[in-house]
Amino acid sequence: MNFDNYSLEPSIYDEMFLPGGEPRPEAQVLYEALSELSGQDLAAIQGRVNRTFSSESISFTVYGDAEAEERIIPVDPIPRVIQAGDWESLSLGLEQRVRALNNFLEDIYGPARIISDGVIPADMILECPQFRPEMRDFSQPYGVWVAVCGTDIIRVNDGFRVLEDNLRVPSGVSYMIANRKAAKASLPRVYRSCRVQEVEQYGAALQATLKELAPYGKPDPSLALMTPGVYNSAYYEHMFLAREIGAELVEGNDLVVRDRVVYMRTTEGLRQVDVIYRRIDDDFIDPSVFREDSLLGAPGIIEAARAGNVTLANAPGTGVADDKSVYVYVPDMIRYYLGQEPLLKNVDTYLCRRPQDLEFTLDNLADLVVKRVGESGGYGMIIGPHATREERDDYAKAVRADPAQFISQPVQSFSRAPCLIDGAFEPRHVDLRPFILNGLQTRIVPGAFCRVALRRGSLVVNSSQGGGGKDVWVLGDDQEA
Amino acid sequence: MLSRSAQSLYWLGRYMERAGNLSRLLQLQSESLVDRPVREIHFGWSRMYNYIQQDPPAGEIRLFGDEQFVLADSFALADDLTFERANPCSVFSCFSQGRENARHTRHCISQEVWKCLNTAYLRLQEQDIATVWQWEPTTFYQSVATDIETIGGLAESTMYHDDRWSFLQLGRYVERAQGAASLLLAQVDTTKESIDQEFHEEDWISLLRVFYALEVYNHTYGVAVLPDRVMDLLVSDPLLPESLGRTVRLVESEIAAIGNGPYSRSGRALQRSVGRLSAMINFEWPDEEEPITLLREILEGATELHFLITEAYFDYPVQAPA
Repeated sequence: MNFDNYSLEPSIYDEMFLPGGEPRPEAQVLYEALSELSGQDLAAIQGRVNRTFSSESISFTVYGDAEAEERIIPVDPIPRVIQAGDWESLSLGLEQRVRALNNFLEDIYGPARIISDGVIPADMILECPQFRPEMRDFSQPYGVWVAVCGTDIIRVNDGFRVLEDNLRVPSGVSYMIANRKAAKASLPRVYRSCRVQEVEQYGAALQATLKELAPYGKPDPSLALMTPGVYNSAYYEHMFLAREIGAELVEGNDLVVRDRVVYMRTTEGLRQVDVIYRRIDDDFIDPSVFREDSLLGAPGIIEAARAGNVTLANAPGTGVADDKSVYVYVPDMIRYYLGQEPLLKNVDTYLCRRPQDLEFTLDNLADLVVKRVGESGGYGMIIGPHATREERDDYAKAVRADPAQFISQPVQSFSRAPCLIDGAFEPRHVDLRPFILNGLQTRIVPGAFCRVALRRGSLVVNSSQGGGGKDVWVLGDDQEA
Repeated sequence: MLSRSAQSLYWLGRYMERAGNLSRLLQLQSESLVDRPVREIHFGWSRMYNYIQQDPPAGEIRLFGDEQFVLADSFALADDLTFERANPCSVFSCFSQGRENARHTRHCISQEVWKCLNTAYLRLQEQDIATVWQWEPTTFYQSVATDIETIGGLAESTMYHDDRWSFLQLGRYVERAQGAASLLLAQVDTTKESIDQEFHEEDWISLLRVFYALEVYNHTYGVAVLPDRVMDLLVSDPLLPESLGRTVRLVESEIAAIGNGPYSRSGRALQRSVGRLSAMINFEWPDEEEPITLLREILEGATELHFLITEAYFDYPVQAPA
């Protein structure tokens, strides 16, 4: 009876229900359990989850006009269920994609064959602000430029689509683990009977990955997680991961570079650092190479990495591969480097730098999402159907002025999942950010940070824009219906 | 461990200890409001401001000797010392600074400690003096003090006793040593400044209670309260948990556990300084002539420790490693 007023739309994939209103086989157990709960039970569950997040201060920081605000990330206690087979094929697609992206980065900062072979236009790369000429001829252990990737996936009626690759400093994995903890505490019996695959091993997997990337295969390397500091929006995650992987949580000021070796300042003197899992943007990591006004970085760190004395994960310059226009070419990269057909599809994307795409975009602005290529976090974009005529006109002007800075995509009717809103279940749009770890091998923990657009009808899932999170239950093999 | 993390843990220890001390003082002060003479209440507030080396918000605490003082002024002073965000020494400010340092080093403290500290902070954040004043201020201050002691106890039982633990403890003990020396001096100074400048037994009894030492005193020395004996007990008794002497010994043992730091010269200077402090308390106290002079030297020594610790472990000059 809890789902009596729950609405389904045929054009939108629902994570719990088939178009006819029957629960999907993989969500049957969860559906039954939720149906039995009283309004009081649901309120208690929501309250418990909120209290846990608040007492542990599982937070992110939002920057307003005046000052930074520490905000607790909203969490929805109802998990999203994914069946084992779907997860398996998604993982294979992700692994393939990230392999090609790593090849691309190794190539683009080296011989750049993909350009000379005419697969990708040179100016698109050279003019991309995320392309770092300073990284030319740089080499990363085993060619791994991207050690940690967080790919944004949406689900539509005929399968998964890649919305975006996050190859710089993807965040959200700590919420994946926190959401799991919350879901286990809220629905302990259902959790047990669903035989959900665990995600707690993420820390161990990340540690193993980073250790594999140590310079010269050094055994038992020392790890540091480099954070811009406590005011960064993802500081909670930095702290969380540092603890999980047994790394020191360092800021630029804690690091000292001498003779192209990176040390950290400890209470016993300087200690060498072998692998830096950096959660600080390229621009700020080393003022002697990138932005010289950066107070957050450590001068000399890039030089030390170039000399092979320290590994930076991810390598600087990886942003060129998750640029919103380069994205269009990822399927071509997979064909070019791996000789395979892409297992995961992109969403249709129009590059406004191409005259016919520009024309199409301007003509159909009311039906498209238009994004600035250099922006992320849900900023700098316009969702045509949700914008006013005035907003669209203003945006069109900006697009016309510098078309290469924009791409457009049809509004994605991506999937919805039941969420607990004011004591009742309502559908909300959700996406999925699984994390792919690359060392000597690829590791994907069976789970993801599922972002929820908590506002009714909204398609924006970013935490900075009113989004929340929920747990993702990837079922074990034996759960196949 | 990372110097910056060590420094944050050290400050976490200091701020929580400071918040705890102040809560204890406020708890006793709020008790005294119920039945003590106005003069004694005035003495209590003055001692507190002398202790934190600050002027009260209005510049001075005037004693009119009537009930107005107890009600109106005490309310304003308690607010200043408990919730005032602009007062860096208020309980809230110390708690908040402590929590900020904990937030910087959440990965270095146990989750149990963080959760307890954060929950206590959130509770405190929701309170205000009007509510507290209306409903049993004593219970409120007691609960804050208990929260802080619980955090300390949780740290003791859930944290691995390595350098992280030692720096946290070092902060607590350095703060405690400085606080104890300051409070003893404040007691003497406040007596001198007081209207009649006379000895009032009850002022010394309340001092003993701050140190949880009244029963011990009565047991050891009998019921007659004499300032010299009170001082002796609070400065040098090796068994009294918060006596200066015992606290300095704890500082010494944490420093020994941490070691000399990267530059043995700074490390040795620190050890010398703490050794000197210990000698003053153990061998020179009581100085029959001028215990106050010695007490001032002890406070200076305790204050100097902080700078030497910073130099030895956190802020040392960086040279290329050999």
